[in-house]
Amino acid sequence: MKVIEIIKIALSSLRVNKLRSSLTILGIIVGIFSIISISTIITMLQTSIEEGVSALGKNTFQLQKWPSVQTGTAEERALIRNRRNMTIEEYYKLRDKLEGEAKQVGGEFWQFGRRVKFGNKETNPNVNLCGCTPEAFPNNNWFVDEGREFTERESKSGARYIILGRDVSKNLFVNIDPIGQEIKIDGRKFTVIGLLENQGDFFGQSQNNFAVIPIKTFKSYYGDRHRSINITVQAYERDSYQDLIEVTEGYFRTIRKVSPSKPNDFEIRSNENTLNIINEMTAGVRIGAFVIAGIALLAAGVGIMNIMLVSVTERTREIGIRKAIGAKRKNVLVQFLTEAVTLSLFGGMIGIVLGVLVGNIAGSFLNATAVLPIDWILIGVSMCVFIGVLFGTYPAYKAANLDPIEALRYE
Amino acid sequence: MNFLFELKEGLIISLKAIRANKGRSVLTTLGIIIGVASVVLMSTAIKGIDQSFQEGVASLGSDNLYIDKWEWFNNDVKWWEMRNRKNLTMEDFEKFKELAKLPIAISPSSGSNRTIKFGERSVQYINISGTDHNYINTTNLTFNEGRFFTELESNSGRAVAVIGSEIEKKLFPHGGAIRQSIKIGGIKFKVVGVLEEQGSFIMGNWNPDNLVYIPISNIFKYFGSRHWRTVTINVRAPNSLMVEAVKEEATGIMRRVRGLKYDEKNNFAINQQQGAFDLYNEQVGVIQIAGFLITGLALFVGAIGIMNIMFVSVKERTKEIGIRKAIGAKKRTILGQFISEAAIICLIGGLIGLGVAIIGSMIIAQFDFPVTVDADAVILAVTISLITGVLSGFAPAYTASKLDPVDALRYE
Repeated sequence: MKVIEIIKIALSSLRVNKLRSSLTILGIIVGIFSIISISTIITMLQTSIEEGVSALGKNTFQLQKWPSVQTGTAEERALIRNRRNMTIEEYYKLRDKLEGEAKQVGGEFWQFGRRVKFGNKETNPNVNLCGCTPEAFPNNNWFVDEGREFTERESKSGARYIILGRDVSKNLFVNIDPIGQEIKIDGRKFTVIGLLENQGDFFGQSQNNFAVIPIKTFKSYYGDRHRSINITVQAYERDSYQDLIEVTEGYFRTIRKVSPSKPNDFEIRSNENTLNIINEMTAGVRIGAFVIAGIALLAAGVGIMNIMLVSVTERTREIGIRKAIGAKRKNVLVQFLTEAVTLSLFGGMIGIVLGVLVGNIAGSFLNATAVLPIDWILIGVSMCVFIGVLFGTYPAYKAANLDPIEALRYE
Repeated sequence: MNFLFELKEGLIISLKAIRANKGRSVLTTLGIIIGVASVVLMSTAIKGIDQSFQEGVASLGSDNLYIDKWEWFNNDVKWWEMRNRKNLTMEDFEKFKELAKLPIAISPSSGSNRTIKFGERSVQYINISGTDHNYINTTNLTFNEGRFFTELESNSGRAVAVIGSEIEKKLFPHGGAIRQSIKIGGIKFKVVGVLEEQGSFIMGNWNPDNLVYIPISNIFKYFGSRHWRTVTINVRAPNSLMVEAVKEEATGIMRRVRGLKYDEKNNFAINQQQGAFDLYNEQVGVIQIAGFLITGLALFVGAIGIMNIMFVSVKERTKEIGIRKAIGAKKRTILGQFISEAAIICLIGGLIGLGVAIIGSMIIAQFDFPVTVDADAVILAVTISLITGVLSGFAPAYTASKLDPVDALRYE
């Protein structure tokens, strides 16, 4: 028997009992809906977190004192707390060593919560100030779209130049070209030489509320004794990226004089391992949600099995006739299995569409980026097939094993 | 025929019908079991978490206000404004205490995070709360052993400590903590009291089981200067009706103590305990509702299963219905018969589901998660399964009751 014919028979017998089929399908819709909507929301949140955290440039990784997410036991946390700060000297040493191996190596200091003033206008004291070397711009995906970046020379000479993030310039300058204006931070004057392009937002919170000054300037105003430098390293290309991480790790251990038996006393943050950390953190939630949502699907599967059993009983005579005129066990088995799978697959499709829709709507209330979770859609479809086969096998087996003589005699 | 007789008859017929199709009934029931078990389990888990949070907060005092530099529960004031506020000092506290008339207890507190050691054993990152002898009166803490420190100990800054139950367990697994010397951040303290377990894991660092109390002057003496430290003033109102009045009074006094002019904004925050509950409900509540809805879906699927099977059953028994109608059965008799069939299946499923939930909660309880199935859960299970049965049985039963006896008898 051809596949198409089998499916046709299945569809026509499902159409005979419209009410029954649609109720069974409704069960599957609800089951798949619950799984897909939850996973859509989780995927949305995850995508938003990833976009927010993975702000590093292409093929770039970062060395820093603190891990981006604090996990582990109290002892592990204490170890991290006791790490020595990374210094600007270490940065210069690493940059020299990586000469020729890395495309560029940037260093940056941060000072949080500053107030920026222009004339009689001022921002809230929540602007983050970064002092960095010119390489930090491409390494952080910061691009200047008006004005210019500062040069290596300006960076080293300690020029009082500043580059503003979108929010800062918007808050201070109305109808005035910011370039060339003089602003004040903590009573010190800086000349605006550039504006950064929009860095996007993170769960509705803007990522543009910062300003950048040359590292030398930063050091002389804010000092470098009680802070740790972040070092960003960019590889020439994708292929050398992993090797470069290892090479850099080795160099930096040498520079920091970490004995071979000790673990790193710094963190290597790349977009990849940030993703891994996020995945690890959300794994528990995902598994929990999956199990809870799977329960509904289980109940729906039981519903399929029940209705298929009824269907087999009702159609005992039909099965008897088919067997009597030569249908093999296999044919009957396939017929009923196809019916079960068609039911669950049909319900699954509708459930997936509804789940993606509702999930996206719910996620948009959390300011998360909209997604189409292809992987979950595939998982959903295969789960439907699985449920159909799992719960359709027993009824189909029962039908296939009917004795044609008994079946024909059945009233 | 009176109603009771009809009901009895209906029940008998339903039971027979259920027994006639054993396999089918079992599967239908299974759907309900899954639904009811997950709903009951979820509701007990939610209740367990709520209860443990409430008990935990209540153990730190009821009808309390906390006067602090920082707003704890609302975001109306920007953090950089709060950062620039003057710290609250012990002098502020003394003045406040002198002027306040309404509260039944007032105490200062200021904390630090330290490692505690006893012999070889140690616990890290413990909140050390420095306070005075009045503190115990602002809370509902109860003692397992010993006592809180006295006025004399508090005023003279003796090196005495009261420890939470969790800390006792870790440092003194065999008991006998009283009068032992423990080291807090390297300084020796004598244990004078051990608190009873208050049990609120969800409060994290503020879980009273994980706190240590010492006289506040020791905090200033050993764990950081009083110049940069801010003090929280714990104020307890006589009863919940007085909370607003106490808050009014406290605001006035604090403005005076802090020397604010009439046009200056408050440079302190009065945090109400209610804020903790509001915040909790806002954050945990959403997750709970979502969890409940999702498990509710499983029950919904089970209900669909029943409805479906009842439709099948009505169809199969068309002739039977025709005969019963022909010999005088009324619409409502047929309606009752099929609804009670659905309700019985649901009730059985619900009771088994309850059993599954009880076993499930016992397993979960092994992981130190506070779940207990109580009388409420039983009522919940029975109620939802009955409602499910009646609702899902109604449509098929209605179809059956509306069958025309002539057509039904002719049905093949």
